[in-house]
Amino acid sequence: MTPAGAEVDSEPFFLGSGASQRFCLFHRPAGPCRGAVLYVPPFAEELNRTRRMAALGARRLAAHGYGVLQIDLLGTGDSAGDFADARWDLWKQDLDTGAAWLRARLDTPLTLWGLRLGALLALDHARTTAVPLAPMLLWQPVAAGTTYLTQFLRLRTAHAMLGEDAAAQSGTKALRAALQAGDTLEIAGYDLTPELALAIDALPAPDALVPPVPVHWFEVLGAPGQAPGPAAARVKAAWEGRGTQLHLHTVTGAPFWATTGISTCPALLDATVDAIEERAHVV
Amino acid sequence: MTNLDANLAEVKATLIDVLSLGDAGQRLQADSPLLGSLPELDSMAVVSLIGALEERFGIAIDDDDLSASTFETLGSLAAFVAEKRAG
Repeated sequence: MTPAGAEVDSEPFFLGSGASQRFCLFHRPAGPCRGAVLYVPPFAEELNRTRRMAALGARRLAAHGYGVLQIDLLGTGDSAGDFADARWDLWKQDLDTGAAWLRARLDTPLTLWGLRLGALLALDHARTTAVPLAPMLLWQPVAAGTTYLTQFLRLRTAHAMLGEDAAAQSGTKALRAALQAGDTLEIAGYDLTPELALAIDALPAPDALVPPVPVHWFEVLGAPGQAPGPAAARVKAAWEGRGTQLHLHTVTGAPFWATTGISTCPALLDATVDAIEERAHVV
Repeated sequence: MTNLDANLAEVKATLIDVLSLGDAGQRLQADSPLLGSLPELDSMAVVSLIGALEERFGIAIDDDDLSASTFETLGSLAAFVAEKRAG
């Protein structure tokens, strides 16, 4: 077991300039390079909550010989633009930029590593990228774009929802209607534009986002022996009917993307390294 | 364990995970009060909890179905989830 972070060399830099400037962090592979990994981050508050796990995962993979690029997508982190400038298709372009940079640097098939909504972004990107792909790593993918948007909109309706005043329960339906009418909404401090929200709302279910390469799909469960959610089994059946393998890995740990404090899930890091090195027992 | 007991145990596990309640959470019973009694359960945590329940059980929860009474006790929350799971 390689200690996380001990001998990993990380290089922060900016790709591009002006409005297309993106902050990147490249974790150089320790020893001979075994592959290239592009991290696809989750959305809004989940991005903040998962920074530690993303950093731990990136360093862990780098320690095992993988070059890992973390890129702050348009309007997030230290990249150019405000959140209101972010668009789904522009985020996919950012992934193209990151993938091209990795390809020029390492010239090896690319592993897309997506977390939560980033897993759907990675799947969507995988359908169109020109870069040769290695099997993908998906951490706790969201079940569907439309459910995910509802969950995000609830951040604004939570107070009303808990009141007994029925009239105040305008709820997420009213917020969706406002987006459809062209309003930008402030949700939990993020300016959510109709363009971005409706693109997420209209995303095909992962069942239909069949990637061209096998996928390692990881679900974090609270206790040993719990059954994974029903989504993974449904997606697996849909993909395998179309010739794409889905390896479902379950690990026990904290739901680090959802917890109110920063938490980590060491078992997920172990399972990820095992999967990418194909040492894992898969189902 | 009956199906209802199993459902309660799974809802409790989700609650403990999302609110990081640890061992203290294990002491929760069906009649344990939640909203107003668990300091961890603020409105933002409620949103995380609903999302986690939707994903864990593969259910979709409509806002109109929710009220403060849903989160009154562990038992009321588990009953709500059981009803949604039954379709």
